[in-house]
Amino acid sequence: MAIALLITTLGFATLIFVQEAKSPPLIYGAYYAGTMVALYLGVRLWLPHADALLLAVVTLLTGVGLVMIYRLTYDVSGRENLATTQAGWILVGTAALVLTALLFKNYHRLFNYKYLLAAVAVGLIASTIFFGYEVNGAQLWLKVGPVNFQPSEFARIALIIFFAGYLADTRDLLAATSRTILGVQVPALKYFGPVAFVWAASLGLLVFEKDLGSSLLFFAVPLLMLYVATGRIAYVILGALLFAAGSLTTYYLFDHVQVRVQTWLDPWSDPNGTGYQVLQSLFSIADGGITGTGLGEGFSQAIPEVQTDFIFSAVASELGLLGSTALLLAFLVFVYRGIKISLLAADDASKLLAFGLTSMFAIQTLIIVGGVTKAIPLTGITLPFVSYGGSSVVGNFILTGLLLVVSENAGRRAAEEAAPEFVEGEAA
Amino acid sequence: MNTQLRRTFYLFAAGFVALVGVMAYWQVYAREDLTNHPSNGLQSQRSQETPRGLIFAGDGETVLARSERAGGNEYERIYPEGEVFANVVGYWSNRFGASGIEIGQNNNLSGTGEPETLDELLNQFSGGPETGNNVTLTVDPELQREAYNQLAQSNTGRGAVAAFDPQTGETLALATYPSYDPNVVIDEGFEEISNEPNNPLLNRATQVTYPPGSTFKVITAAAALEAGVRPTDRFNDDGTYETPGYSFGNYRGKAYGNVTFAEALVFSINTVFAQIAVDRVGPEKLAAMAREFGFGYEYEDYPLYVAPSDLGLPPEEWAEGNTAPISFGQDRVVSNVFEMGLVASAIANDGDMMQPRLVREVRSSDGIILDRPTPRPLNEALPEGTARTLNEMMQGVVEEGELVAAQIQGTKVAGKTGTAENPQGEPHSWFISFAPADDPEIAVAVVVENGGVIGEDGAAETPALTIAGNLMRAYLDRPAPAPPSTQPNLPAGVPGGGPGEVLDPAQRPAQPSAPDQPGAPVDPFAPFRNAAPQQQQQSQPGQPPASQQQPLQPVPRPQDEGPG
Repeated sequence: MAIALLITTLGFATLIFVQEAKSPPLIYGAYYAGTMVALYLGVRLWLPHADALLLAVVTLLTGVGLVMIYRLTYDVSGRENLATTQAGWILVGTAALVLTALLFKNYHRLFNYKYLLAAVAVGLIASTIFFGYEVNGAQLWLKVGPVNFQPSEFARIALIIFFAGYLADTRDLLAATSRTILGVQVPALKYFGPVAFVWAASLGLLVFEKDLGSSLLFFAVPLLMLYVATGRIAYVILGALLFAAGSLTTYYLFDHVQVRVQTWLDPWSDPNGTGYQVLQSLFSIADGGITGTGLGEGFSQAIPEVQTDFIFSAVASELGLLGSTALLLAFLVFVYRGIKISLLAADDASKLLAFGLTSMFAIQTLIIVGGVTKAIPLTGITLPFVSYGGSSVVGNFILTGLLLVVSENAGRRAAEEAAPEFVEGEAA
Repeated sequence: MNTQLRRTFYLFAAGFVALVGVMAYWQVYAREDLTNHPSNGLQSQRSQETPRGLIFAGDGETVLARSERAGGNEYERIYPEGEVFANVVGYWSNRFGASGIEIGQNNNLSGTGEPETLDELLNQFSGGPETGNNVTLTVDPELQREAYNQLAQSNTGRGAVAAFDPQTGETLALATYPSYDPNVVIDEGFEEISNEPNNPLLNRATQVTYPPGSTFKVITAAAALEAGVRPTDRFNDDGTYETPGYSFGNYRGKAYGNVTFAEALVFSINTVFAQIAVDRVGPEKLAAMAREFGFGYEYEDYPLYVAPSDLGLPPEEWAEGNTAPISFGQDRVVSNVFEMGLVASAIANDGDMMQPRLVREVRSSDGIILDRPTPRPLNEALPEGTARTLNEMMQGVVEEGELVAAQIQGTKVAGKTGTAENPQGEPHSWFISFAPADDPEIAVAVVVENGGVIGEDGAAETPALTIAGNLMRAYLDRPAPAPPSTQPNLPAGVPGGGPGEVLDPAQRPAQPSAPDQPGAPVDPFAPFRNAAPQQQQQSQPGQPPASQQQPLQPVPRPQDEGPG
C-alpha cells in the first residue's frame, strides 16, 4: 500500500509537472491532487481492509484524463474550461464515492431493494425518451435543473446490483434446471423471467435511443454475470446467438447501425463524411508511433469529440504505443483487482456484484478502445475515468466505491479469519 | 464460481492484449501507409505549426527565408530578399506546394528528419519543440543581386546566370530573370504569377534548356585535343563546310582561310569545328566528351531540379549533317547555364568537375553544425594537361578575340561566346568564362534569351559577355582592363557602371568588333583581322536546316515548374 501511495504521489508529481509545462491553472491541479490524496487516506481509514490500489489506478486514469482534456481543449474557443469542469466532476465523483462508502458500507442492504433498483434503472433509461434531448444522434441526456446528465451511466450500476442480488438468490435454481429445448437446457421461466424481462426492457430502450455502446454493455454484462453465476457456457452460447440475431435485425432495421457498420468495414469510401472521425482517429494514432509525438505536439484535435469518446486516440497520438499500452495496463490492473475482489468476496451476491461492476468497466474500455482503433465498429461510449463527461466520471466513482466496500467486507472477513493466529504478533 | 471468474478475467486480459496488438499494428506496422495517405492532413498541419528553419545566404548573415508567427499556432514564411533569390530559395505554401531549397532541404528545414543531436532526440521523446534546422547556402548575396540586376537590365530582360567556385563546386550565384516574389506567391498570388506570359516561375538557370551555340565548342575542342589535334594544327576554311545534303557556313558568311585550331576557337569558326568533329573526333567521342562534362546527367544531389542537358539523337544515329552542327552547339543540342557553368568550372579546375553544391552547412536551431559538406570531385572530365591547353585556348578567345567587356586588368580571363540560333526569334546570347585563368576563383555562364539581336551590319549583340565580365570583376573586386587603345567612353567596368545599356557593338569603341575596324596595334592574328574577328560566329545564316534528317530545330524545352 505504501508502494501504491508512492506511485500515486509520483504519478501526481509527473502529471502536475507536465501540466505546469503547459501552463494550466495550477491551482486546480493542486485541488485535484489534494482531493485524491485525501480520498486515498480517508478510504484507508474508513475502509482499512479495502483494496486501495483501485484508488491509485483511478487517480492515474483521471489524472491522465485531466491532462489530456486540458491539452485538447485549452485553446479551443468555447471549450477552454472543460478541464476545470472535469476536475469539478471528479470532486463530485469523489463525494459520491465517499457517500457510497459511508451509506453502503453494509451494501447487502442494497440487495433487499433489488426490484426497486431495477425499476428505477429502467425508469431512468426510459425517462430520456420522454424528457431527454438528443446529442449527436442519440437521445441520452436528461436535464435536471442546471445539470445535464446521462441517466444510463447510473442505470447500469443499479441494474448490476439487481442482477447480482437476483442471480445470487436464484443461481442454483437457474443452474439446476433439467428442461431442455432443442438440446439447450432452459431454466424455468419463473426464475429466469425477471432477469430476461429487465434485460430485454433496458436493451430495447437503449436500442431505440440509438445508444449502441450502452446496449452492448447491457447485453454483455448480465450475460457474463449469468455465466459466472450458473457456470453454464450454454447461456453464453445462447446469448451470443441472440446477439447475432439481434445485431442482424438492428442492422436491417436502423440506418444509423448500418452506417456504423459500413463505416467500420470501409471508412475510406467516405473519408470526409461518415469515415472522417475514425480515419482522423487512425491518422492520429499512427502519427504517434512508438514513442508518440509528445504531449501537446499531436494533432488529435482534428478528431471530432476527441475529449470524450476519442480521448484514447489522443493519448495514443501524443504518448505513442508505449503510453497507450501503459494506459491499457492501468485499466487491466483495475480489472484484475476487481476480479480479485470478486474472488475473495464471501457470498455470491458480493461476488456477482464485484464481478458485474468490474466486467462493465472492462467491457466498456474494450468497446471504446476497440472502436477508436477500428478493431470493432465504433459505438459512442466513454473511456472510464479518462474521457470528459460528468455522468461517466461520477458513475465510475460510484462503481469504484461499491468495489471498495465489497473489498472491505472481504478483506475484513479474511483479516478476522487470520486474526487469531496473529494476535501475539500484533500485540508485539 | 471462482473458476468462471478466472476464465472471464482471462477473457478480458486477452481482450486487452488484443488491443495492444491493434495499437501496435496502427502505430508501427501500418504507420507509414497512414501517414502518407492522401486524406491525412496531419503532416501539412504539423508543418504549419512548426517554425521552419532559417535560410541564409553564403555570408551567413543575409536571411533569405524565416518563419514568423502569423496568429494562433501557425507560422508563415517571410522572404526578405524577394525576387532576387526566389529561384533558389523557392517558396513554401500549404496551398500551392513548395519549390527550391524550401522543398529540396525540407527534411532539414522542417526538422522532420532523423534526430541529429541529443537535444533533438530528447525533444522527440519528450515532445519538446522540434524547430527546423537552419540552412546556409553557398550563394554570394552580392553577386546574386548583381547578377539579377544585370539580367534585368539586359536588352531582352530574359536570361539566367550561373556562377561556381571551380575549385569547390560551390554555387556562387544562380540568377534568373524575370523572377517572382515568393511572398506574393504564398499570399494567394500563385495563380496570377503562374499565368504571366514570360513565366517568372521558371528557373531559367536550371529548368530551361537552350541551344548552347558556340559555347559548346569548348567541349568539341576538348574532344579534339583528346583525339590528338594540337592547337597549332592548321585547318583550311573556305567559308563553307559541305556534308551530304547540307552545307554549313560561318557567322556572317566569313571565310578565314588557313588557320590554327587555336585560332578557330578564337574566331569561333564553325567550318573548322565541323571538319574536326566529323574527320578527327567522330560522333561517339564527341558524345562521350559531352557526357564527361555532364550532358545527360541530372545532378540529383543538387537540391534544385536541374533539367539535364542533351545532345538529341544518340551518337550512333548521327549523320555527318548532325555531327557538324552539333560540334558548334546547334542541331538538337540543348543545355543551360548551370551545365555550361560547370563545363567552364571543370576546365578551370584542371579538368576535374567538382560536385556542384548549394548548401554550405546545416545547423540545428541552437547552432550545432549538423552537416557541412566538403568539396568532392564529381568527375574527371579531362586530363590535367588537356584542360590546361584548353584553358590557354580559352584565354586566347578573350585576349586575342579582344573581348574587352570580359577582360580584367591584371587578371587573365578565359571564356567562350555563343550566339545560339533558335526557332523562337533572335539568337540567344551566351558566354561562359572563368577567372583568374591561372588560379580560377569563379566560373560564370550567362545566357540572355534572344539577346543576340542581329544589328544592321549583321553583327549580333553580346549582352551575356558584358554581364559575365561585370560579374567576374564584381566578384574579384578588380577593375576593367585599361583601354588598349583610344576608348574615351569605356565604362569603368565597375558593376553597375552602365551595365544595362543595350550593347550595340557599333557603339562600343572598346571592342573592335565591327568588321571595318582594323583592330589593335598588336595583333597576332593580323592575317585574319581583315576577316573580321568576332565575338561570336554562327552557322548557316542562309541555310535553314529543315530536312527529313533534321526535322527539328533545337528547341528550348521549358520544364514544368515546380519541385522536381
